[in-house]
Amino acid sequence: MNWFSRGIRSAFRNATRTFALVIILGLSISLALSMLIAHQAVTQKINNVKSSVDNTISIYPAGLRGFTGGGNPLTSAQLLEVSKTTDVTSVAETLSDRMTSSETNLQSPISAGVLGRRFARKVGGLGGVFGNYGGQSFTLPVIVNGTNDPTNLSAFSHTGGGGTFTLQSGTVFNSNSNANVALLGSSIASKNNLKVGSTFTAYSTTITVAGIFSTGNRFGDSQVIMPLQTVQRLTGQTNQITSAVAYVNSVSNVATVTAAIKKELGSAADVTNSIAQAQSIVSALQNIQTISLYSLIGAVIVGAIIILMTMIMIVRERRREIGVIKAIGSSNIRIVGQFMAEAVTLTLVGAIIGITFGVIASKPITQMLVSSSNSSSSSSSRSSLAGSGSGGNFAAHHFSGGHGIFTRVKHDISSVHAVVNFSIVVDGLVAAIFIALIGSAVAAYFIAKIRPAEVMRVE
Amino acid sequence: MLKVTDLKRQFQSGDTIVNAVNGIDLTIPDGQFVSIIGQSGSGKTSLLSLLGALDKPSSGSIEVDGRDITKMNGGELNQYRAKTIGFVFQSYNLVPNLTALENVMLPMEFLGKPKRDRIERAKNLLHEVGLNDGEVLRKPGSLSGGQQQRVAIARALANHPKYILADEPTGNLDSQTGKKIFNLLHDLSLKEKTTIIVVTHDLAIAGKTNKSFRIKDGRVVNSTDRSKT
Repeated sequence: MNWFSRGIRSAFRNATRTFALVIILGLSISLALSMLIAHQAVTQKINNVKSSVDNTISIYPAGLRGFTGGGNPLTSAQLLEVSKTTDVTSVAETLSDRMTSSETNLQSPISAGVLGRRFARKVGGLGGVFGNYGGQSFTLPVIVNGTNDPTNLSAFSHTGGGGTFTLQSGTVFNSNSNANVALLGSSIASKNNLKVGSTFTAYSTTITVAGIFSTGNRFGDSQVIMPLQTVQRLTGQTNQITSAVAYVNSVSNVATVTAAIKKELGSAADVTNSIAQAQSIVSALQNIQTISLYSLIGAVIVGAIIILMTMIMIVRERRREIGVIKAIGSSNIRIVGQFMAEAVTLTLVGAIIGITFGVIASKPITQMLVSSSNSSSSSSSRSSLAGSGSGGNFAAHHFSGGHGIFTRVKHDISSVHAVVNFSIVVDGLVAAIFIALIGSAVAAYFIAKIRPAEVMRVE
Repeated sequence: MLKVTDLKRQFQSGDTIVNAVNGIDLTIPDGQFVSIIGQSGSGKTSLLSLLGALDKPSSGSIEVDGRDITKMNGGELNQYRAKTIGFVFQSYNLVPNLTALENVMLPMEFLGKPKRDRIERAKNLLHEVGLNDGEVLRKPGSLSGGQQQRVAIARALANHPKYILADEPTGNLDSQTGKKIFNLLHDLSLKEKTTIIVVTHDLAIAGKTNKSFRIKDGRVVNSTDRSKT
C-alpha cells in the first residue's frame, strides 16, 4: 500500500462523516453543474438569437410597405452601394408584384371570402388589381416575388406569409438567374394542377415550374417565387427593387450599419432593424445567464469551502497520526499527497452523486429560471418597445395578426433547452478535482506545520 | 557512537522560559542498552525527541557516527528518522486504519523498499514479536495493548535501525505484559545489534540496562554504568 491508496482508504475511514460530506458535496456539485448547463444553454440561445434573428436590416422604398403605401422603387445601383457598406455580409433583393387574371393564367387557391371582399372594396379603385369588383365577384391576384435569395422567405416576408422554406420537389434556381422559371407554393401548384416541368403563363411569357415548395402557411403556399432579373424583365421594371434585407456580420454592428444605410439612401428609403426586439430577447436571456453564472460561482465556492474545511478538520484530528508518520521517516510531500488523494476521492464520490443529480435536475432548473425570468422580461420588452419607432415597425411588420413581438420574445426565451453533453460532465469532473486540490492545498500547509514531536504529546 | 554536547532546549511558556533540556552532555557507545530515568517533567522525553530528530535543539550538538544531526536539512532528517532511528512510544501510536502488517511495512515504504520485501520483512518481524497470521491482518483497534506494543516494536525494527528510542514502552501495560515487552525489546536488540535508549520511570527496568542516566531539571545528575560490573 502506498500513500495514494492510503489516501483513498482514509476517505472511507469514518463512514458517517464520509456519507454526510459526500451528500453535501454532491448537492453543491449538482447545483454547480445545473447552473453550468443552464448557463451554456442560455449562452447558446443568446448566440443563436444574435446570429439568426437580430442581424438583419429591412430596406423599403420610402412610403411603401408590401403592397400598401406609395413612393418610388429603389434601384439595384442603390442596393449595390448598400452591399458595400462595412459589416454588411449580403443583401437579399426583391421585386414583388401582384399578377391579375389578365397577366397570368394561374388561379389563386385562396377564395376572397368576407375579408377579401372587405379589403377589395377599400382598395378596389387603386389600379384595378381587383378587376371586376363592381360586380361583387373577383379573383384574388397572384403574388409573385422576384428575388436573388429564393429560399430565404424573410427576404420578402412583407408580401409572403413567412414560415420556413421547404422544397418539396424540383430544384431552386440560382440567385442571379434570368431564366423563365418559377418556384410555386404547394397550394397554388395544386390549384392549377402544376408540377415540376409544367408550364404556365405570366406576363405573356411561358414560365416553367422549376420546383414546388411549402412554407407552413396557406398564404405563403399560394405565392410564386421567380428570379429577380426575370421579374424585372417581364414587368418592365429593370433594376427596380421593392424591398431588400441587408445581413450584418454581428448584432452589435446592426445599429451602426443601419445608420450608415440610412445615410447612404437618404429620404429614398425606410430603413429599419430588429435590434430592439433582439435587445429584449437578449436582455431577458442575459438575466438568466447572470443568475446562472453567479449561482455557478457560488456553488463552486461552497464546494471548495466544504472541502477546505473538511480537510482542515481532518488534519487537525489526525495531528498525532501525521506526527507519527513524520516520526518514522515520511516526508511532508508524501503526507500531503496522501491527504490530497483523500480529498480527491471524497470529491470524486461527491461528483458522481452531484453529476447524476445535476444531469437530472439541470433541465427543470433551467426551465424554472426561464419561467421566472419570462414574465418580467415580457413586461419590460413591452415597455421598452412602446416608444421604439423602428422596433415597433418591425414587430408590427413581421408579427402581425396576433404574433407580436411580445409573443416572439416570450417564445425565444421559453425555447432555451438545457443540453447535457459529455464535455460538460468532463468539465464538471475536472472542476471538482480542481476544487479538491485547492481545498487540500490549504490542508497541506497545516500538515507541513505539524512537528514530528507532536507524536510525543501525551493525550 | 552517539555523542551529545551541551544540548539545550528552551520553550516559551507564557512569559517564562522553560529549560526542558539544559546543557546535557553524554556519550552512548554502539550496541548498548541505555536507560534515561527521572521524574515527570525532568526533561527525559524532550531529550529523547532531540535524539530522534523529532525536535530541534536551541543549542548544542548531537553527533551520530560523527555527523551532527542538528545541522541536517529536512530531507536528511527524514532519512535519518527512517533509516537510523526506530521509535517505540508509550501509547503505541500505530496508524489506526492500517493493519498490523501495513503498520510495520510503512517505514520501509519511506526508504523505497520493494513491496515484496516489505511484506516478507514485516511478516517475519510480527511473527518474531509473537503475532500469528490472523493477528497480523487485524487493525490496532482490535488488538490488545500488549499486542499493539509488539507491533510498534516490529515497526521500530523494520528498517534495521542503529538506534531504538523507546519512550515509556511499558507505561501503558500491566506489569506482566510490561516485563514481556521489555524482554522482547532486549532480545530483539541483541539479535538485530541495535542500540536501545529507553526512557522509563521503572527502576527495575533501568536496573537491567547497561547504562542509566538520571535527569533532573534538564541536566544529567547521575549516570550508572553496569556493563563494567
